[in-house]
Amino acid sequence: MLKVAWSSVLANKIRLLLTSFSIVIGVAFVAGSFVFTDTITTRFDRLFADISAGVDVYVQPVAPEFGNDFGQVELSMPQDVLNDVLAVDGVNVAEAGVGGFAQLVDSEGDVVGGFGPPTLGFSWSQDPDMTPLRIAPENGRPPQTAGEVAIDVATARTQGYEIGDTVSLLFTGPVEHFTLVGLANFGDEDNVAGATLAIFEFEEAQRLFGLEGRISQISVSAEPGVLAEDLAARIGSVLSEDVEAITAAQSTADQTAEIQEGLGFLTIGLLVFAVIAVFVGSFVIYNTFRIIVAQRTRELALLRAIGATGGQVTRMVVLEAFIVALVSSVIGIFAGIGLSLFLAFALSAAGLGFPDGPMTVLPRTVIVGLLVGVVVTLVASVVPARSASRISPVAAMQADLSATPRKTLRKRTIVGLGVSGAGFALVAVGLFGDFGNNLQCLGLGAVVAFVGISILAPIAARPFATFVGWPIRKIFNLFGDHVSAELAVQNTRRQPRRTASTASALMIGVTLIVFVAIFAASIKVSVGNTVAEIFPADISVSSSNFTIGVSPDYTENLRALPEIGQVTTLNSTQIRIQELGIETDVAAIEPDTAGGMVFSGASDEDLAELGRTNGLLIREDFEGAGGQERAEEQLGKTFTIELPNGTVETGRVVGVFTDGSFGDYIITRDRFVTGIEPVTDAFVLANAAEGVSVEAAKLAAEDAALVYPNAQVQTKTELVADAEAQIDGLLIIFTALLGLAIIIAILGITNTLALSIIERTREIGLLRAVGMSRRQLRRMIRWESVIVAVFGAFLGMLTGIALGWAVVQALKDEGLGDFALPVGQLVTLIGVAAIAGVFAAIYPAYKASRLNILDAISYQ
Amino acid sequence: MVSAITVKDAAKRYGQGDAVVTALAGITAEFEAGKFTAIMGPSGSGKSTLLHCLAGLDTLDEGGIFLGDIALSELSDKELTLVRREKVGFIFQAFNLIPTLNAKENILLPLSIAGVSADEAWYQEVVDAVGLGDRLTHRPSELSGGQQQRVAAARALVSRPEIVFADEPSGNLDSKSSEELLEFMRTAVDKFGQTIVMVTHDASAASHADRVIFLDDGKIAAEILDPTTDSILDKMKQLGD
Repeated sequence: MLKVAWSSVLANKIRLLLTSFSIVIGVAFVAGSFVFTDTITTRFDRLFADISAGVDVYVQPVAPEFGNDFGQVELSMPQDVLNDVLAVDGVNVAEAGVGGFAQLVDSEGDVVGGFGPPTLGFSWSQDPDMTPLRIAPENGRPPQTAGEVAIDVATARTQGYEIGDTVSLLFTGPVEHFTLVGLANFGDEDNVAGATLAIFEFEEAQRLFGLEGRISQISVSAEPGVLAEDLAARIGSVLSEDVEAITAAQSTADQTAEIQEGLGFLTIGLLVFAVIAVFVGSFVIYNTFRIIVAQRTRELALLRAIGATGGQVTRMVVLEAFIVALVSSVIGIFAGIGLSLFLAFALSAAGLGFPDGPMTVLPRTVIVGLLVGVVVTLVASVVPARSASRISPVAAMQADLSATPRKTLRKRTIVGLGVSGAGFALVAVGLFGDFGNNLQCLGLGAVVAFVGISILAPIAARPFATFVGWPIRKIFNLFGDHVSAELAVQNTRRQPRRTASTASALMIGVTLIVFVAIFAASIKVSVGNTVAEIFPADISVSSSNFTIGVSPDYTENLRALPEIGQVTTLNSTQIRIQELGIETDVAAIEPDTAGGMVFSGASDEDLAELGRTNGLLIREDFEGAGGQERAEEQLGKTFTIELPNGTVETGRVVGVFTDGSFGDYIITRDRFVTGIEPVTDAFVLANAAEGVSVEAAKLAAEDAALVYPNAQVQTKTELVADAEAQIDGLLIIFTALLGLAIIIAILGITNTLALSIIERTREIGLLRAVGMSRRQLRRMIRWESVIVAVFGAFLGMLTGIALGWAVVQALKDEGLGDFALPVGQLVTLIGVAAIAGVFAAIYPAYKASRLNILDAISYQ
Repeated sequence: MVSAITVKDAAKRYGQGDAVVTALAGITAEFEAGKFTAIMGPSGSGKSTLLHCLAGLDTLDEGGIFLGDIALSELSDKELTLVRREKVGFIFQAFNLIPTLNAKENILLPLSIAGVSADEAWYQEVVDAVGLGDRLTHRPSELSGGQQQRVAAARALVSRPEIVFADEPSGNLDSKSSEELLEFMRTAVDKFGQTIVMVTHDASAASHADRVIFLDDGKIAAEILDPTTDSILDKMKQLGD
């Protein structure tokens, strides 16, 4: 049987090649996401290990237990900790360092970088063993006094800086200017993962980062013979609670884990697309094997006639599938490595630098890749293999195999309705139900619904082909080529199951694209409205980087401008309320100026009360410890509030507000900044002064931002446009990725057509013999393909609209806007599907038109 | 005598080196217009190859074929397609019809392909002669073998071709259906003046022809006019010895 299976694989090379393509893509995504994550992990692991090469123990402030990343200030500890550490037995060298945000500003006054790799500032380490940074003699010298800076070689090169030049840098305050005295290498490298580095003398660094008398970290090396773990424990015992000592190895692992977490969304995204690709691919595989089995009916019947059991025939088909799966999975794994290489390259090109190094391919990646490819293919080939076993030996003797009896549609309708109904029910439960795994439920429901619709699709295939065929026939009648169109329509009608399952593969991709388009269109409406509601002010100022906010000095200057009226700030952070035992998002506002500037849904009286008492406002339908609770009952209660930096204060609930954009509570900015040094604001909001146009006010605000280059000034309109543009950007990325599912499906159409043509060899020969030209033949196949493609797109569109509608309804409470139908996009999509159909037909049409007529009419 | 199609010194070989098979070894013949010619011969005698070449489905290695004054060997694929469409009709042994089209559509297929409308009167005449009656709206799978071949024959005639080629048209049929089909072909020649060239190995089928050409080893071995089944069988026996 192995021999028969193998020779069959060889005989069906082209069709199996097309099939394997869909497996390759699925496996490539699976393997690619693993390789990418593993590679990033190993490379960063190595990088962090290099950084801490000569260090055994780090002493650093304990990271907050909660809080969001944005606006998180550089953690610091008192400088005296160094003395305590030095006193510990077994410490060889201990050196204090300060670090923080430092961004280069070019000669145009614009910030350099800041969107991807960090822009870092450090104090220069005196002991070369404690730092990987080196300044070679020909590259100048380390900074020794205030006003001097060294930067990394790569940044100096790209920005064209030479020793002696003036370099401008942005910290949390206004831009400051320095003399460039040295160019630093990182070990042998010119740069670390695309980061820009600025290095200062120690005390200067303390001043620049707003850390006078404080330090960020102490690097410790152990005396010979002292283990890092022991030393860390010993140092730890002399430290206060908010300072910790960890080994360099631990620090490396922590930082790598942080990077991994940051890139987690990419891995998840890749895996989701892998699942989609595999799912679409399984339709193509199923279809191919079914057609191959149908075409080989006579051969399989002969095997049965000469004594093969049904089981043997099944096993043979499955074995064939296994061979194809194995080969394509291996190719898929290599393609996955290629994919991750491309991804790393693309992200580097986008400005997110990754450390150099080899690709990491773990055994796990190979195993999972092979498993996915093989299991999916085997599952998809089981049904065709089973039907192969049911071929009766008599079929070998029958002359005409094309006239198979049509099965009753009633069973199909019932099963199809049942399955798709169950799918949609699962979707509904996922959307409206309330339990932990809503998203998984939604996904599973979608998959089941797809299968259900693909079971129902054959019923619709014939009417649809007639329906779409009508205008096609009319058009062709005009050109006097009625017959090509007629035959194309009839061909799609003759095997509705095949037409339907080919179209179903396309349906999945189209459904998802339509869904995303509808979701984006709906969300765009609401985001526009929401942004305008949250920021009713004329102008908003935010930071162009994700590390620091807008300097309060800038806000002061803004307040003084005659063109500017009311000015206020808005920050968001997390607090822990000890009485309720919850950590929650809060907005921090300035109660005196927030009225009419920040949408909070709080009355003026409540705002005034908030300012007077420095208390808390609570949201109407806030999430309490035990679910929904009544806000009014909380009024007057005093809560113990813990801020991310460890500050613990009490505050009284003085009012209720309605808007939930920034969380369940509102606190004052005064409370927010307690214990934070230096302070920056996430958003500064301003109105134009009486009688001043918004444009004029914006220009004035921009002028004031010259020495604060990270401050981005936007009018309300620009802010909304910006938010919408971001959604459009996401939509494009999603559509492009989902386009891959479309490509797999299109290859499926090509495959089905190519197989149908082999089946119809004699028919094509006859058409050619009675005078059909090659061109007419190609036209016939092309339109056949277009009808299948449009059918798939049409099914996908209906499903996508249904799914989109349901999701929009479900999320209405979450502030999602009304259901919006992007009609233009949908029409375009049908057009794209039709064009894709034309492309899918190129190869099969060419093959058909090149058939030798004589061979074709004598083909058995 | 007006010749519908002429073949001159036709030679064709298949394969290469030791495996070379001579299918046609220099055949010269004329096929008279308005006559029914049968080509007979044992398997491998080259009769099918000759028919395929005459019909423009295959090409000669040497020699020429002239359909009227058209030299087929000088035509491109496109021009050959047009010749088949406009001047030639076909009836094959099996798989003669497009399964997705009904009988009427199959009959009109060559005209549809050419994008010309049918001559109603002529169509009616052909359909009446072929005797399909109410089966015209049926699909091939709903027709008997004999009915299918008669549809194929009607299709071959409907475009008024200069010549109709038939390759073992009755090969798959029982004797009654076979008789009906051949009667129809005879009628087409007698009543409509159609030229027909048919390949067959069945003596009783060949007896419907005006003339029988016997091929052997790629050459014309004999020929008889106004044949009967007996005269054909005699000749075959004679050639076999």
